[in-house]
Amino acid sequence: MAILPILQFPDPRLKEKSVPVTGVTAEVSAVIDDLLETMRASPGCVGIASPQVGIASRIIVVDVSTHRRGGQEENHGLLVLVNPEILARGGKQLVREGCMSVPDYTANVQRAQWVLVDALDREGKQTILEAIGFEAVAIQHEVDHLDGYLFLDRVSSIKTDLFRRKRYR
Amino acid sequence: MGHFSVSVMGKDRPGIVAEVSRILYELGCNIEDSTCTILSGQFAMILVVFHEKPMTTAEMNPSFDDVRQKMGLQVTIHSLKADEVVHDKSFIGRPHIISVYGADRPGIVYSVARELARRKVNITDLNTQVVGSKERPVYVMVLEVDLPEGIDMKELDVVFDGIKKELGVSISVRPIETLEL
Repeated sequence: MAILPILQFPDPRLKEKSVPVTGVTAEVSAVIDDLLETMRASPGCVGIASPQVGIASRIIVVDVSTHRRGGQEENHGLLVLVNPEILARGGKQLVREGCMSVPDYTANVQRAQWVLVDALDREGKQTILEAIGFEAVAIQHEVDHLDGYLFLDRVSSIKTDLFRRKRYR
Repeated sequence: MGHFSVSVMGKDRPGIVAEVSRILYELGCNIEDSTCTILSGQFAMILVVFHEKPMTTAEMNPSFDDVRQKMGLQVTIHSLKADEVVHDKSFIGRPHIISVYGADRPGIVYSVARELARRKVNITDLNTQVVGSKERPVYVMVLEVDLPEGIDMKELDVVFDGIKKELGVSISVRPIETLEL
């Protein structure tokens, strides 16, 4: 296991579409372990997608249970989703998102309130799950990474929705 | 070699950014960070620029004389020491939004800012506006702040309650719930 460096925009690899994996092989399992370790090593981070560490496979990891607000909503705790596909979306919510690959900004992004997701779990078993609230946002954000989209692609107004991070260590 | 802060202010008109960026480009400066805004028709811009070669503010200043005269701009340049330029942005902290509004009267900003400063609260953004009709102007202030760990929120609430009564304003403090992904 290893903590991998996070690619930052404008790295062109973040804009590429990732390809599905054939199953949860030993190699995929190793990627999952690295993603988990990398996510946990980043303060406050509740999700990561494989393209963010330069691996163009469709693998995401989400855990909003540690988030102040996300943890109070219904959530699945740690979610490993391989080849995730959002089958259905419902409702709307506006949430302030930050992204390790776009470290200088945060943005208000409109996302679905509820999603229905089809994916392989960590053991490679096909699973369908529902997510709401912050967990649903995290899944949509990470699935976007697999398709080469960043939250910057989802912002409707730079003037009112994009915020420069001002806080320094 | 080094960083400089450049601030530009003057009556807004098309071409200010073009002229300022041309001069910086011709001086060989790289714009690393910048922001601008327009307040009541006054354009204001602040930039942090980097120059690879040794350069002093005295050498840079004359290049801006033309825009100072022709465009009526005030341009100020400061040399920054290496340790004054911070690149590392943090994901930690407790960012909050404080919104304040009420009938326009002097002292609203000061009353709130004074109490924040006493508690070592860093203001990272401040916007104030007067909205509403001429007869009934409403003053709106929105602050983005970093609340230090261990701040006594109950005590701050009591203090803000005092300001609310004294100035007849509404004050609310809400956490900015950013989802870090």
